[in-house]
Amino acid sequence: MTNNSAIPAKKRKKKIASLDARKARAGWWFIMPFLAIFLIVYLPVIADSIKFSFSKLIIQSGGGYYTEFVGLENYQEALFEDPKFVQILVAGIKQLIFDIPAIVIFSLFMAVLLNQKMFGRALFRAIFFIPVIIGTGVVEYIDQNNSMLSYMIDSSSSIDNGAGGATASESLAEAANLEWLFGSMKVGGELMDYVVGIIANVYDIISRSGVQMLIFLAGLQSISPAIYESCQIDGAAAWETFWKITFPMISPMILVNTIYTVIDSFTRSSNSVMLYIDYIYKEPNKHVVSSAMSWIYFLIVLALIGVVSAVISGYVFYQRRD
Amino acid sequence: MNNQATAPKVMKETKNKIRVDFERTDFWTRFKLKYLSFKFVKTVVWVVFRLVLLVGISYVILSPVLSKIFSSFMGKEDFVDVTVKYIAKYPTLDTYKALIVEAKYFTAFFNTLLLSLACAIIQTFVCCVVAYGFAKFRFKFNNLLFFLVIFTMVVPQETLQLSLFMKFRYFDIFNIIKLFGGEQLNLLNSYWPLIILSLGGLGFKNGLYIYMLRQYFRGVPDELEESAYLDGSGVFRTFIQIIIPLSVPMLITVFLFSFSWQWTDMFYTDLFFPKSSFVTMPDLVMIPKSLDTVYAGQSMYEAAIYNTASLLIIAPLIIMYLFCQRYLIAGIERSGIVG
Repeated sequence: MTNNSAIPAKKRKKKIASLDARKARAGWWFIMPFLAIFLIVYLPVIADSIKFSFSKLIIQSGGGYYTEFVGLENYQEALFEDPKFVQILVAGIKQLIFDIPAIVIFSLFMAVLLNQKMFGRALFRAIFFIPVIIGTGVVEYIDQNNSMLSYMIDSSSSIDNGAGGATASESLAEAANLEWLFGSMKVGGELMDYVVGIIANVYDIISRSGVQMLIFLAGLQSISPAIYESCQIDGAAAWETFWKITFPMISPMILVNTIYTVIDSFTRSSNSVMLYIDYIYKEPNKHVVSSAMSWIYFLIVLALIGVVSAVISGYVFYQRRD
Repeated sequence: MNNQATAPKVMKETKNKIRVDFERTDFWTRFKLKYLSFKFVKTVVWVVFRLVLLVGISYVILSPVLSKIFSSFMGKEDFVDVTVKYIAKYPTLDTYKALIVEAKYFTAFFNTLLLSLACAIIQTFVCCVVAYGFAKFRFKFNNLLFFLVIFTMVVPQETLQLSLFMKFRYFDIFNIIKLFGGEQLNLLNSYWPLIILSLGGLGFKNGLYIYMLRQYFRGVPDELEESAYLDGSGVFRTFIQIIIPLSVPMLITVFLFSFSWQWTDMFYTDLFFPKSSFVTMPDLVMIPKSLDTVYAGQSMYEAAIYNTASLLIIAPLIIMYLFCQRYLIAGIERSGIVG
């Protein structure tokens, strides 16, 4: 009797294991395209890039190229000999550290607004995500030229040349007369500069927070309405509900979005450091220096992501499932 | 004050109808309770504030596009006329004509359309497959390999600029071609580099798509697949017949992103199409010869030409967005992306 029951149990166990194994194998098949191209193309590309940054590139006239190892020379040139790189790097990073909280807070606020039931919600949502679709690549490049132009010839011409974002937000800042407002509020000068700066860049910030808004919206949708209902029954005000329920529930999304914002702002091509690296790349015989620069830059980004995620992870609340 | 209304009387009129008689609270009391409370005022203030804010931000988003549209119809003379702000005094379609004819808009349009469509379709499918693999299967190194996906997201494109160029200029897989005495392939000026990258889910921002889809698939209940397995369907068939139809809104979202980001992309088209014979959308950003003059308003005029080019570039995207935007919201709403 005992013998009888032991055999099927063993068989069953084996069968389950084999299903798991089969599923694991299927998993490998699913990620195969990524893995294969990553190993065949991407990894050599990364290895090459690292190699280039440590060497001198000589292109043969007959075709092909070879490299000569020069050690840290390119890095030295990037960090110490190049007149502008370090300066631009520091300024760029400072700017981004200021921008990132603005973008995350703005997109969270907007997501909360767009999640409420109201008249014309679909229309507003459609408008808010337009910059995600059109605000990249060549269009971004043109917009940048526009705002540069409007700085140079300032307002001597009356025509709005479509640096419009900048103009609109500047006129917004003027209309609100913020400096006066803050002056009477007796807050620190730095805070005032920060807020005024954000409002002047509001177009930039709006156009960079589209994806984050989407992610926050998705997060807000996933919070169970039952929790809000029970809060309402217990008599919590909307303000309390936001800080005690919405905020903790959405905190994983805040982490994700902060990291995404860091990555996105650091890697987008309108970034001043990126522009400078691109400019160096296009100079003759400077390809390898631009590689070295971008690896320095990458390491800084990675360090920043590490710090940010370590800090925020401490405060993230994960809802325990089941 | 008759706050305590008498209990309503219910009378049966016919078999299927009832009549309820009750004493109605008078209008003034109802009005006072409903509209003269602090709560109501607060709600109204909030609704107005919200509306003003949303309209304001929508204005900030739309105004550059609008002013670009206005300035695209302006003639040369308008840019030296101080009285012109939005409406052109010398309206003309020359800018559009010159860009469409001289900058070969339609050639650029079809080239870019083909490129973006190919990339977007391949990327959407590949990212979907890869993300499903990461989301639903437990195998060794799953997390480690997913870290590689994140890594591809973090590395700035510019870092790999030179080596990508070299890779596809002298294309070879582990020196196999060289080993057999063949010549290394020059894949530049063809669709191949982008298609190869897309096939591996390594194109522009593909890490983000894989991440989004992975989170989405994690939210799909396992029971769905288990029941399919029980009915004898294999892993791949389940994926094709059950999972893909289920995730159409999400896939449209990813498609929309990858199409429009590829459409406006300058980095890869600059890198992989160094010769100017292959006209793509970014090549529209130029001053057509017939409009190239030297005069007082030149810099403004040139900016307006560039802006008109950007309008021509985004026009197809806007049209597509109008059709797809409801899927964008639906896809995201159902995704339940949770970190």
